[in-house]
Amino acid sequence: MFTQIALGTMEQGLMYAIMVLGVYLTFRILDYADLSVDGSFTLGAATATSLIVGGTDPWIATGMAFIAGTLAGLFTGILHTKFKITPLLSGILTMTALYSINLRVMGRANISLLGSRTIFSDFAKLPFMEEYGVLVLSLGSVLLIGAVIYFFLQTELGLALRATGDNELMIRSLGVNTDLMKILGLGLSNGLVAFAGSYVAQKLEFADASMGIGMIIAGLASVIIGEVLVGTSSIGRAILAVICGAVLYRAIIAVVLQLGLEATDLKLITSFIVIIALVSPTLRKKIASWSGGISGKEAQ
Amino acid sequence: MLNVHEVLKTFNRGTVNEKIALNKVSLELLPNDFVTVIGSNGAGKSTLLNAIAGNFMVDSGEISIEGIPITRLPAHKRADLISRVFQDPLSGTAASMTIEENLIMAFRRGKGRRLRRAIGPKERDLFRIELEKLGLGLENRLTNKVSLLSGGQRQALTLLMATLQKPKLLLLDEHTAALDPKTAEKVLELTCGVTEQQQLTTLMITHNLDHALTFGNRTIMMHEGRVILDIKGIERNNMTISRLLEMFEKASGSHMNTDRMILA
Repeated sequence: MFTQIALGTMEQGLMYAIMVLGVYLTFRILDYADLSVDGSFTLGAATATSLIVGGTDPWIATGMAFIAGTLAGLFTGILHTKFKITPLLSGILTMTALYSINLRVMGRANISLLGSRTIFSDFAKLPFMEEYGVLVLSLGSVLLIGAVIYFFLQTELGLALRATGDNELMIRSLGVNTDLMKILGLGLSNGLVAFAGSYVAQKLEFADASMGIGMIIAGLASVIIGEVLVGTSSIGRAILAVICGAVLYRAIIAVVLQLGLEATDLKLITSFIVIIALVSPTLRKKIASWSGGISGKEAQ
Repeated sequence: MLNVHEVLKTFNRGTVNEKIALNKVSLELLPNDFVTVIGSNGAGKSTLLNAIAGNFMVDSGEISIEGIPITRLPAHKRADLISRVFQDPLSGTAASMTIEENLIMAFRRGKGRRLRRAIGPKERDLFRIELEKLGLGLENRLTNKVSLLSGGQRQALTLLMATLQKPKLLLLDEHTAALDPKTAEKVLELTCGVTEQQQLTTLMITHNLDHALTFGNRTIMMHEGRVILDIKGIERNNMTISRLLEMFEKASGSHMNTDRMILA
Protein backbone atom coordinates (compact mmCIF):
# COMPACT_ATOMS: atom_id res chain seq x y z
CA MET A 1 0.00 0.00 0.00
CA PHE A 2 2.68 2.49 1.04
CA THR A 3 5.01 1.63 -1.85
CA GLN A 4 2.04 1.94 -4.17
CA ILE A 5 1.36 5.49 -2.97
CA ALA A 6 5.07 6.37 -2.98
CA LEU A 7 5.45 5.11 -6.54
CA GLY A 8 2.34 6.97 -7.69
CA THR A 9 3.51 10.17 -6.01
CA MET A 10 6.95 9.88 -7.57
CA GLU A 11 5.47 9.28 -11.04
CA GLN A 12 3.10 12.21 -10.70
CA GLY A 13 5.81 14.44 -9.26
CA LEU A 14 8.11 13.79 -12.20
CA MET A 15 5.35 14.48 -14.75
CA TYR A 16 4.43 17.70 -13.00
CA ALA A 17 8.12 18.55 -12.88
CA ILE A 18 7.98 19.06 -16.66
CA MET A 19 5.22 21.62 -16.08
CA VAL A 20 7.19 23.24 -13.26
CA LEU A 21 10.26 23.57 -15.53
CA GLY A 22 8.00 25.57 -17.84
CA VAL A 23 6.79 27.76 -14.97
CA TYR A 24 10.42 28.26 -13.89
CA LEU A 25 11.30 29.59 -17.36
CA THR A 26 8.72 32.36 -17.13
CA PHE A 27 8.52 33.01 -13.38
CA ARG A 28 12.23 32.99 -12.61
CA ILE A 29 14.13 33.38 -15.89
CA LEU A 30 11.83 35.96 -17.52
CA ASP A 31 10.47 37.35 -14.23
CA TYR A 32 6.97 37.04 -15.67
CA ALA A 33 4.05 35.52 -13.72
CA ASP A 34 2.27 33.78 -16.57
CA LEU A 35 -1.27 32.68 -15.78
CA SER A 36 -1.87 31.10 -19.19
CA VAL A 37 -0.38 27.97 -17.61
CA ASP A 38 -3.79 26.97 -16.17
CA GLY A 39 -5.21 26.89 -19.67
CA SER A 40 -2.25 25.44 -21.53
CA PHE A 41 -1.94 22.47 -19.16
CA THR A 42 -5.50 21.47 -20.04
CA LEU A 43 -4.84 22.32 -23.67
CA GLY A 44 -2.03 19.75 -23.72
CA ALA A 45 -4.24 17.12 -22.13
CA ALA A 46 -7.16 17.93 -24.44
CA THR A 47 -5.03 17.93 -27.58
CA ALA A 48 -3.31 14.63 -26.80
CA THR A 49 -6.41 12.76 -25.66
CA SER A 50 -8.66 13.87 -28.48
CA LEU A 51 -5.98 13.03 -31.04
CA ILE A 52 -5.41 9.61 -29.47
CA VAL A 53 -9.13 8.88 -29.40
CA GLY A 54 -9.23 9.92 -33.04
CA GLY A 55 -6.60 7.29 -33.84
CA THR A 56 -3.40 9.33 -33.91
CA ASP A 57 -0.21 7.69 -32.65
CA PRO A 58 0.17 8.68 -28.95
CA TRP A 59 3.78 9.81 -29.40
CA ILE A 60 2.79 12.16 -32.20
CA ALA A 61 -0.22 13.29 -30.15
CA THR A 62 2.13 14.15 -27.26
CA GLY A 63 4.31 16.17 -29.63
CA MET A 64 1.23 17.97 -30.91
CA ALA A 65 0.32 18.86 -27.32
CA PHE A 66 3.69 20.60 -27.01
CA ILE A 67 3.05 22.57 -30.20
CA ALA A 68 -0.46 23.55 -29.10
CA GLY A 69 0.90 24.82 -25.78
CA THR A 70 3.65 26.75 -27.56
CA LEU A 71 1.05 28.51 -29.71
CA ALA A 72 -0.90 29.49 -26.58
CA GLY A 73 2.29 30.91 -25.06
CA LEU A 74 3.10 32.84 -28.22
CA PHE A 75 -0.37 34.35 -28.07
CA THR A 76 0.19 35.55 -24.49
CA GLY A 77 3.58 36.91 -25.50
CA ILE A 78 2.17 38.85 -28.43
CA LEU A 79 -0.63 40.28 -26.29
CA HIS A 80 1.94 41.53 -23.80
CA THR A 81 4.73 42.77 -26.08
CA LYS A 82 2.90 44.01 -29.16
CA PHE A 83 -0.27 45.32 -27.53
CA LYS A 84 1.28 46.36 -24.21
CA ILE A 85 -1.21 44.45 -22.06
CA THR A 86 0.12 43.79 -18.55
CA PRO A 87 1.68 40.35 -17.93
CA LEU A 88 -1.06 39.27 -15.53
CA LEU A 89 -3.90 40.34 -17.77
CA SER A 90 -2.32 38.80 -20.89
CA GLY A 91 -2.13 35.49 -19.06
CA ILE A 92 -5.68 35.71 -17.76
CA LEU A 93 -6.99 36.53 -21.24
CA THR A 94 -5.24 33.52 -22.76
CA MET A 95 -6.33 31.28 -19.90
CA THR A 96 -9.95 32.32 -20.26
CA ALA A 97 -9.93 31.97 -24.04
CA LEU A 98 -8.32 28.56 -23.70
CA TYR A 99 -11.15 27.31 -21.49
CA SER A 100 -13.51 27.57 -24.46
CA ILE A 101 -10.89 26.33 -26.90
CA ASN A 102 -10.23 23.26 -24.74
CA LEU A 103 -13.92 22.40 -24.72
CA ARG A 104 -13.95 22.78 -28.50
CA VAL A 105 -10.88 20.57 -28.84
CA MET A 106 -12.39 17.85 -26.67
CA GLY A 107 -15.93 18.30 -27.98
CA ARG A 108 -17.23 17.65 -24.44
CA ALA A 109 -16.22 18.32 -20.84
CA ASN A 110 -14.07 15.19 -20.50
CA ILE A 111 -12.52 12.36 -22.49
CA SER A 112 -11.66 8.87 -21.30
CA LEU A 113 -8.68 7.05 -22.74
CA LEU A 114 -9.55 3.69 -21.16
CA GLY A 115 -8.25 0.91 -23.36
CA SER A 116 -6.56 3.29 -25.81
CA ARG A 117 -2.89 3.13 -26.68
CA THR A 118 -0.86 5.74 -24.75
CA ILE A 119 2.85 6.49 -24.54
CA PHE A 120 2.82 4.64 -21.22
CA SER A 121 1.10 1.51 -22.56
CA ASP A 122 3.59 1.49 -25.44
CA PHE A 123 6.52 1.94 -23.11
CA ALA A 124 5.31 -0.82 -20.76
CA LYS A 125 5.72 -3.31 -23.62
CA LEU A 126 9.50 -2.83 -23.54
CA PRO A 127 11.43 -5.44 -21.53
CA PHE A 128 11.44 -4.92 -17.72
CA MET A 129 9.14 -1.91 -18.06
CA GLU A 130 5.88 -3.53 -17.02
CA GLU A 131 5.97 -2.32 -13.44
CA TYR A 132 8.13 0.79 -13.49
CA GLY A 133 7.53 1.93 -17.05
CA VAL A 134 5.67 5.10 -16.06
CA LEU A 135 8.37 6.03 -13.56
CA VAL A 136 11.23 5.40 -15.98
CA LEU A 137 9.61 7.24 -18.86
CA SER A 138 8.70 10.24 -16.66
CA LEU A 139 12.13 10.36 -15.05
CA GLY A 140 13.87 10.03 -18.42
CA SER A 141 11.70 12.79 -19.91
CA VAL A 142 12.31 15.19 -17.01
CA LEU A 143 16.05 14.61 -16.99
CA LEU A 144 16.27 15.02 -20.75
CA ILE A 145 14.19 18.23 -20.73
CA GLY A 146 16.11 19.54 -17.72
CA ALA A 147 19.41 18.92 -19.52
CA VAL A 148 18.17 20.59 -22.69
CA ILE A 149 17.06 23.67 -20.71
CA TYR A 150 20.38 23.67 -18.86
CA PHE A 151 22.38 23.75 -22.09
CA PHE A 152 19.96 26.12 -23.78
CA LEU A 153 20.38 28.69 -21.00
CA GLN A 154 24.16 28.76 -21.65
CA THR A 155 23.81 29.42 -25.35
CA GLU A 156 23.95 32.93 -26.79
CA LEU A 157 20.19 32.84 -27.18
CA GLY A 158 19.73 31.47 -23.67
CA LEU A 159 21.87 34.22 -22.17
CA ALA A 160 19.82 36.83 -24.02
CA LEU A 161 16.66 35.26 -22.57
CA ARG A 162 18.05 35.33 -19.03
CA ALA A 163 19.25 38.91 -19.42
CA THR A 164 15.79 39.94 -20.65
CA GLY A 165 14.40 38.83 -17.29
CA ASP A 166 17.28 40.36 -15.35
CA ASN A 167 17.95 43.73 -16.98
CA GLU A 168 15.84 44.49 -20.01
CA LEU A 169 17.23 47.97 -20.68
CA MET A 170 20.79 46.68 -20.69
CA ILE A 171 20.28 43.72 -22.99
CA ARG A 172 18.28 45.86 -25.41
CA SER A 173 21.17 48.32 -25.53
CA LEU A 174 23.33 45.32 -26.45
CA GLY A 175 21.17 44.64 -29.49
CA VAL A 176 18.66 42.03 -28.34
CA ASN A 177 15.02 42.31 -29.30
CA THR A 178 13.54 41.76 -25.85
CA ASP A 179 9.98 41.48 -27.16
CA LEU A 180 11.04 38.50 -29.23
CA MET A 181 12.81 36.97 -26.22
CA LYS A 182 9.67 37.24 -24.10
CA ILE A 183 7.53 35.69 -26.82
CA LEU A 184 10.06 32.88 -27.23
CA GLY A 185 10.26 32.23 -23.49
CA LEU A 186 6.49 32.20 -23.08
CA GLY A 187 6.09 29.88 -26.06
CA LEU A 188 8.67 27.44 -24.74
CA SER A 189 7.24 27.56 -21.24
CA ASN A 190 3.66 26.90 -22.27
CA GLY A 191 4.83 24.19 -24.66
CA LEU A 192 6.40 22.36 -21.71
CA VAL A 193 3.30 22.89 -19.57
CA ALA A 194 1.05 21.42 -22.28
CA PHE A 195 3.53 18.58 -22.78
CA ALA A 196 3.22 17.77 -19.07
CA GLY A 197 -0.56 17.98 -19.38
CA SER A 198 -0.51 15.33 -22.09
CA TYR A 199 1.62 13.04 -19.88
CA VAL A 200 -0.70 13.43 -16.91
CA ALA A 201 -3.80 12.81 -19.03
CA GLN A 202 -2.29 9.67 -20.55
CA LYS A 203 -1.28 8.36 -17.14
CA LEU A 204 -4.75 9.05 -15.71
CA GLU A 205 -6.28 7.87 -19.01
CA PHE A 206 -8.57 10.83 -18.65
CA ALA A 207 -8.75 14.50 -19.60
CA ASP A 208 -11.07 17.05 -18.05
CA ALA A 209 -11.76 20.67 -18.98
CA SER A 210 -11.01 21.80 -15.44
CA MET A 211 -7.87 19.75 -14.75
CA GLY A 212 -5.59 22.79 -15.16
CA ILE A 213 -7.25 24.99 -12.56
CA GLY A 214 -4.73 26.12 -9.95
CA MET A 215 -1.82 24.73 -11.96
CA ILE A 216 0.11 28.02 -11.89
CA ILE A 217 -0.05 28.14 -8.09
CA ALA A 218 1.04 24.48 -7.84
CA GLY A 219 3.90 25.37 -10.18
CA LEU A 220 4.96 28.38 -8.13
CA ALA A 221 4.76 26.36 -4.91
CA SER A 222 6.99 23.69 -6.43
CA VAL A 223 9.54 26.24 -7.67
CA ILE A 224 9.68 27.94 -4.27
CA ILE A 225 9.91 24.68 -2.27
CA GLY A 226 12.75 23.49 -4.50
CA GLU A 227 14.62 26.78 -4.30
CA VAL A 228 14.43 26.88 -0.52
CA LEU A 229 15.60 23.29 -0.07
CA VAL A 230 18.11 22.85 -2.91
CA GLY A 231 19.27 26.41 -3.60
CA THR A 232 19.83 28.48 -6.73
CA SER A 233 23.55 29.23 -6.73
CA SER A 234 23.89 28.18 -10.37
CA ILE A 235 21.60 27.43 -13.30
CA GLY A 236 22.21 23.68 -12.99
CA ARG A 237 21.34 23.75 -9.33
CA ALA A 238 18.24 25.86 -9.92
CA ILE A 239 16.95 23.37 -12.51
CA LEU A 240 17.60 20.48 -10.13
CA ALA A 241 15.82 22.47 -7.42
CA VAL A 242 12.78 22.87 -9.65
CA ILE A 243 12.56 19.14 -10.35
CA CYS A 244 13.01 18.21 -6.69
CA GLY A 245 10.49 20.87 -5.71
CA ALA A 246 7.87 19.39 -8.02
CA VAL A 247 8.31 15.89 -6.59
CA LEU A 248 8.33 17.21 -3.01
CA TYR A 249 5.20 19.22 -3.63
CA ARG A 250 3.40 16.06 -4.76
CA ALA A 251 4.75 14.24 -1.71
CA ILE A 252 3.39 16.96 0.58
CA ILE A 253 0.02 16.70 -1.14
CA ALA A 254 0.05 12.90 -0.75
CA VAL A 255 0.85 13.19 2.97
CA VAL A 256 -1.85 15.78 3.50
CA LEU A 257 -4.39 13.51 1.79
CA GLN A 258 -3.27 10.56 3.93
CA LEU A 259 -3.78 12.70 7.01
CA GLY A 260 -7.46 12.77 6.12
CA LEU A 261 -7.95 16.09 4.36
CA GLU A 262 -10.27 16.15 1.37
CA ALA A 263 -8.91 16.46 -2.15
CA THR A 264 -11.05 19.58 -2.46
CA ASP A 265 -8.93 21.27 0.23
CA LEU A 266 -5.76 20.94 -1.83
CA LYS A 267 -5.95 24.28 -3.57
CA LEU A 268 -6.35 26.05 -0.23
CA ILE A 269 -3.26 24.29 1.11
CA THR A 270 -1.29 25.06 -2.04
CA SER A 271 -2.20 28.73 -1.82
CA PHE A 272 -1.05 28.76 1.79
CA ILE A 273 2.30 27.25 0.83
CA VAL A 274 2.84 29.99 -1.76
CA ILE A 275 1.64 32.75 0.58
CA ILE A 276 4.01 31.60 3.32
CA ALA A 277 6.89 31.42 0.85
CA LEU A 278 6.17 34.88 -0.57
CA VAL A 279 5.59 36.47 2.82
CA SER A 280 8.51 34.95 4.71
CA PRO A 281 11.31 37.15 3.29
CA THR A 282 9.38 40.32 4.26
CA LEU A 283 8.57 38.88 7.67
CA ARG A 284 12.17 37.86 8.24
CA LYS A 285 13.31 41.41 7.49
CA LYS A 286 10.76 42.85 9.87
CA ILE A 287 11.73 40.46 12.64
CA ALA A 288 15.40 41.25 12.03
CA SER A 289 14.76 44.97 12.34
CA TRP A 290 12.72 44.51 15.54
CA SER A 291 15.30 42.41 17.27
CA GLY A 292 18.37 44.08 15.79
CA GLY A 293 17.25 47.68 16.38
CA ILE A 294 19.33 50.29 14.56
CA SER A 295 22.16 47.93 13.67
CA GLY A 296 19.62 45.69 11.92
CA LYS A 297 18.56 48.59 9.76
CA GLU A 298 22.12 49.44 8.92
CA ALA A 299 22.74 45.90 7.82
CA GLN A 300 20.10 46.33 5.17
CA MET B 1 30.29 61.10 -37.77
CA LEU B 2 27.23 61.69 -35.54
CA ASN B 3 24.74 64.10 -36.98
CA VAL B 4 21.74 65.25 -34.95
CA HIS B 5 19.60 67.56 -37.04
CA GLU B 6 16.80 69.69 -35.55
CA VAL B 7 15.54 66.96 -33.26
CA LEU B 8 12.30 67.73 -31.44
CA LYS B 9 10.92 65.69 -28.55
CA THR B 10 7.92 66.62 -26.43
CA PHE B 11 6.88 64.56 -23.43
CA ASN B 12 3.24 64.26 -22.34
CA ARG B 13 2.08 66.13 -25.39
CA GLY B 14 -1.41 67.58 -25.07
CA THR B 15 -1.50 67.38 -21.27
CA VAL B 16 -0.83 69.93 -18.53
CA ASN B 17 2.54 68.25 -17.99
CA GLU B 18 3.62 68.91 -21.56
CA LYS B 19 7.35 69.49 -21.71
CA ILE B 20 9.55 70.20 -24.68
CA ALA B 21 12.62 68.17 -23.78
CA LEU B 22 14.52 68.66 -27.01
CA ASN B 23 13.80 71.87 -28.87
CA LYS B 24 15.06 71.37 -32.43
CA VAL B 25 18.49 70.53 -31.16
CA SER B 26 21.29 70.10 -33.66
CA LEU B 27 24.73 68.67 -33.01
CA GLU B 28 27.50 67.37 -35.18
CA LEU B 29 30.39 65.25 -33.95
CA LEU B 30 33.59 64.66 -35.90
CA PRO B 31 35.35 61.31 -35.76
CA ASN B 32 37.38 60.94 -32.51
CA ASP B 33 35.57 63.86 -30.91
CA PHE B 34 35.26 63.52 -27.15
CA VAL B 35 32.48 65.93 -26.26
CA THR B 36 31.52 66.71 -22.68
CA VAL B 37 27.92 67.83 -22.09
CA ILE B 38 26.90 70.10 -19.22
CA GLY B 39 23.69 71.87 -18.24
CA SER B 40 21.28 72.23 -15.37
CA ASN B 41 18.65 69.65 -14.44
CA GLY B 42 16.03 69.19 -17.12
CA ALA B 43 18.22 70.81 -19.76
CA GLY B 44 17.73 67.79 -22.03
CA LYS B 45 21.15 66.16 -21.70
CA SER B 46 19.94 62.67 -20.89
CA THR B 47 17.03 63.06 -23.29
CA LEU B 48 19.51 63.80 -26.05
CA LEU B 49 21.47 60.65 -25.24
CA ASN B 50 18.28 58.60 -25.04
CA ALA B 51 17.16 59.97 -28.39
CA ILE B 52 20.47 59.00 -29.98
CA ALA B 53 20.34 55.56 -28.35
CA GLY B 54 16.76 55.04 -29.52
CA ASN B 55 15.04 54.62 -26.16
CA PHE B 56 12.15 56.53 -27.68
CA MET B 57 11.27 57.83 -31.11
CA VAL B 58 11.74 61.57 -31.67
CA ASP B 59 8.84 63.75 -32.87
CA SER B 60 10.79 65.22 -35.76
CA GLY B 61 14.33 65.74 -36.97
CA GLU B 62 16.99 63.35 -38.20
CA ILE B 63 19.78 61.41 -36.52
CA SER B 64 22.51 59.63 -38.44
CA ILE B 65 25.81 57.96 -37.70
CA GLU B 66 28.44 57.92 -40.45
CA GLY B 67 25.68 58.76 -42.88
CA ILE B 68 23.50 55.84 -41.79
CA PRO B 69 20.07 57.21 -40.84
CA ILE B 70 19.00 55.75 -37.49
CA THR B 71 16.09 58.05 -36.64
CA ARG B 72 13.46 55.33 -37.07
CA LEU B 73 15.45 52.33 -35.83
CA PRO B 74 14.46 50.72 -32.51
CA ALA B 75 17.14 50.73 -29.79
CA HIS B 76 18.20 47.14 -30.31
CA LYS B 77 18.92 47.76 -33.98
CA ARG B 78 21.26 50.65 -33.20
CA ALA B 79 23.30 48.53 -30.84
CA ASP B 80 25.96 47.64 -33.40
CA LEU B 81 26.75 51.38 -33.75
CA ILE B 82 26.25 52.71 -30.24
CA SER B 83 27.19 51.55 -26.77
CA ARG B 84 26.27 53.15 -23.49
CA VAL B 85 27.23 53.41 -19.85
CA PHE B 86 24.42 54.52 -17.57
CA GLN B 87 24.59 56.60 -14.40
CA ASP B 88 23.25 53.84 -12.18
CA PRO B 89 25.92 51.12 -11.81
CA LEU B 90 23.09 48.58 -11.44
CA SER B 91 21.61 49.26 -14.84
CA GLY B 92 24.57 48.37 -17.05
CA THR B 93 24.95 44.76 -15.99
CA ALA B 94 22.74 41.74 -15.31
CA ALA B 95 23.16 41.06 -11.58
CA SER B 96 22.05 37.44 -11.52
CA MET B 97 24.50 36.46 -14.24
CA THR B 98 28.25 35.89 -13.98
CA ILE B 99 30.97 38.33 -15.04
CA GLU B 100 31.87 36.21 -18.06
CA GLU B 101 28.22 35.87 -19.09
CA ASN B 102 27.82 39.64 -18.96
CA LEU B 103 30.99 40.09 -20.99
CA ILE B 104 30.01 37.61 -23.67
CA MET B 105 26.64 39.34 -24.12
CA ALA B 106 28.49 42.60 -24.65
CA PHE B 107 31.00 40.89 -26.93
CA ARG B 108 28.09 39.93 -29.19
CA ARG B 109 26.63 43.42 -29.12
CA GLY B 110 24.64 44.09 -32.26
CA LYS B 111 25.18 40.60 -33.64
CA GLY B 112 22.67 37.78 -33.95
CA ARG B 113 22.29 35.45 -30.99
CA ARG B 114 22.53 31.85 -32.00
CA LEU B 115 21.81 28.52 -30.44
CA ARG B 116 25.41 27.68 -29.66
CA ARG B 117 27.37 27.54 -26.45
CA ALA B 118 28.16 31.13 -25.62
CA ILE B 119 31.51 30.96 -23.82
CA GLY B 120 34.54 28.89 -24.77
CA PRO B 121 38.19 28.89 -23.62
CA LYS B 122 39.11 31.42 -26.30
CA GLU B 123 36.62 33.99 -25.00
CA ARG B 124 37.67 33.31 -21.40
CA ASP B 125 41.29 34.10 -22.26
CA LEU B 126 40.28 37.33 -23.95
CA PHE B 127 38.13 38.35 -20.97
CA ARG B 128 40.97 37.66 -18.53
CA ILE B 129 43.33 39.89 -20.51
CA GLU B 130 40.76 42.68 -20.75
CA LEU B 131 39.74 42.45 -17.10
CA GLU B 132 43.37 42.57 -16.01
CA LYS B 133 43.65 46.02 -17.62
CA LEU B 134 41.03 47.30 -15.17
CA GLY B 135 43.39 46.45 -12.32
CA LEU B 136 40.55 45.38 -10.02
CA GLY B 137 41.37 41.69 -9.75
CA LEU B 138 38.22 40.73 -11.61
CA GLU B 139 40.18 38.48 -13.97
CA ASN B 140 40.14 35.76 -11.31
CA ARG B 141 36.42 36.08 -10.69
CA LEU B 142 34.99 35.27 -14.13
CA THR B 143 32.31 32.93 -12.77
CA ASN B 144 31.24 35.19 -9.90
CA LYS B 145 27.80 36.69 -10.12
CA VAL B 146 27.85 40.42 -10.82
CA SER B 147 25.62 41.04 -7.79
CA LEU B 148 28.70 40.31 -5.65
CA LEU B 149 30.59 43.30 -7.07
CA SER B 150 30.72 46.84 -5.67
CA GLY B 151 29.22 49.78 -7.55
CA GLY B 152 32.62 50.90 -8.79
CA GLN B 153 33.55 47.43 -9.96
CA ARG B 154 30.22 47.10 -11.74
CA GLN B 155 30.70 50.46 -13.45
CA ALA B 156 34.22 49.53 -14.54
CA LEU B 157 32.82 46.27 -15.89
CA THR B 158 30.06 48.15 -17.72
CA LEU B 159 32.66 50.42 -19.29
CA LEU B 160 34.63 47.39 -20.43
CA MET B 161 31.42 45.85 -21.80
CA ALA B 162 30.68 49.03 -23.72
CA THR B 163 34.07 49.02 -25.42
CA LEU B 164 34.81 45.30 -25.75
CA GLN B 165 33.36 45.46 -29.24
CA LYS B 166 34.46 48.85 -30.56
CA PRO B 167 31.38 51.06 -30.98
CA LYS B 168 31.10 53.86 -33.51
CA LEU B 169 29.77 56.08 -30.75
CA LEU B 170 30.15 55.81 -26.98
CA LEU B 171 27.50 57.45 -24.80
CA LEU B 172 28.34 58.12 -21.17
CA ASP B 173 25.47 59.40 -19.04
CA GLU B 174 27.07 60.75 -15.84
CA HIS B 175 28.61 57.35 -15.47
CA THR B 176 30.71 58.36 -12.45
CA ALA B 177 28.09 60.42 -10.59
CA ALA B 178 26.93 57.57 -8.37
CA LEU B 179 30.44 56.52 -7.31
CA ASP B 180 32.61 57.70 -4.44
CA PRO B 181 35.24 60.28 -5.52
CA LYS B 182 38.15 57.87 -5.56
CA THR B 183 36.33 55.21 -7.58
CA ALA B 184 34.96 57.92 -9.86
CA GLU B 185 38.52 59.06 -10.64
CA LYS B 186 39.52 55.47 -11.37
CA VAL B 187 36.59 54.91 -13.73
CA LEU B 188 37.26 58.25 -15.46
CA GLU B 189 40.89 57.27 -15.89
CA LEU B 190 39.81 54.00 -17.46
CA THR B 191 37.40 55.93 -19.69
CA CYS B 192 40.16 58.20 -20.97
CA GLY B 193 42.47 55.27 -21.51
CA VAL B 194 40.01 53.32 -23.62
CA THR B 195 38.69 56.27 -25.64
CA GLU B 196 42.24 57.27 -26.53
CA GLN B 197 43.41 53.79 -27.30
CA GLN B 198 40.40 52.87 -29.44
CA GLN B 199 40.01 56.42 -30.79
CA LEU B 200 36.34 56.42 -29.89
CA THR B 201 33.87 59.15 -30.68
CA THR B 202 32.37 59.93 -27.30
CA LEU B 203 29.57 61.98 -25.80
CA MET B 204 29.87 62.32 -22.02
CA ILE B 205 27.37 64.01 -19.72
CA THR B 206 28.89 65.29 -16.50
CA HIS B 207 27.94 67.45 -13.55
CA ASN B 208 31.54 68.16 -12.76
CA LEU B 209 32.50 71.41 -14.52
CA ASP B 210 36.17 70.72 -13.92
CA HIS B 211 35.88 67.34 -15.65
CA ALA B 212 33.85 68.95 -18.40
CA LEU B 213 36.76 71.25 -19.25
CA THR B 214 39.67 68.88 -18.64
CA PHE B 215 38.38 65.76 -20.37
CA GLY B 216 37.80 65.54 -24.08
CA ASN B 217 38.36 68.13 -26.80
CA ARG B 218 35.04 69.93 -26.85
CA THR B 219 32.36 71.05 -24.40
CA ILE B 220 28.73 71.82 -25.07
CA MET B 221 26.23 73.36 -22.69
CA MET B 222 22.54 72.61 -22.93
CA HIS B 223 19.60 74.62 -21.70
CA GLU B 224 15.87 74.07 -22.25
CA GLY B 225 16.41 71.48 -24.91
CA ARG B 226 18.98 73.39 -26.95
CA VAL B 227 22.73 73.65 -27.22
CA ILE B 228 23.51 77.17 -25.96
CA LEU B 229 27.29 76.96 -25.86
CA ASP B 230 29.79 74.99 -27.91
CA ILE B 231 33.48 75.54 -27.21
CA LYS B 232 36.65 73.86 -28.40
CA GLY B 233 40.30 74.59 -29.17
CA ILE B 234 41.92 77.71 -27.70
CA GLU B 235 38.64 79.15 -26.47
CA ARG B 236 38.10 76.01 -24.41
CA ASN B 237 41.69 75.89 -23.18
CA ASN B 238 41.34 79.43 -21.81
CA MET B 239 38.01 78.72 -20.20
CA THR B 240 37.62 78.72 -16.45
CA ILE B 241 34.75 77.40 -14.38
CA SER B 242 33.68 80.85 -13.21
CA ARG B 243 33.66 82.16 -16.78
CA LEU B 244 31.69 79.11 -17.84
CA LEU B 245 29.04 79.92 -15.20
CA GLU B 246 29.01 83.55 -16.30
CA MET B 247 28.50 82.54 -19.91
CA PHE B 248 25.70 80.25 -18.87
CA GLU B 249 23.92 83.07 -17.06
CA LYS B 250 24.33 85.35 -20.03
CA ALA B 251 23.21 82.80 -22.60
CA SER B 252 20.26 81.43 -20.66
CA GLY B 253 19.24 84.46 -18.64
CA SER B 254 19.08 82.37 -15.47
CA HIS B 255 21.29 80.90 -12.79
CA MET B 256 22.72 77.49 -13.19
CA ASN B 257 21.47 75.06 -10.59
CA THR B 258 24.69 75.01 -8.62
CA ASP B 259 23.79 72.65 -5.78
CA ARG B 260 24.03 69.69 -8.10
CA MET B 261 26.97 71.13 -10.01
CA ILE B 262 30.41 70.24 -8.83
CA LEU B 263 32.55 73.28 -9.35
CA ALA B 264 36.00 71.96 -8.71
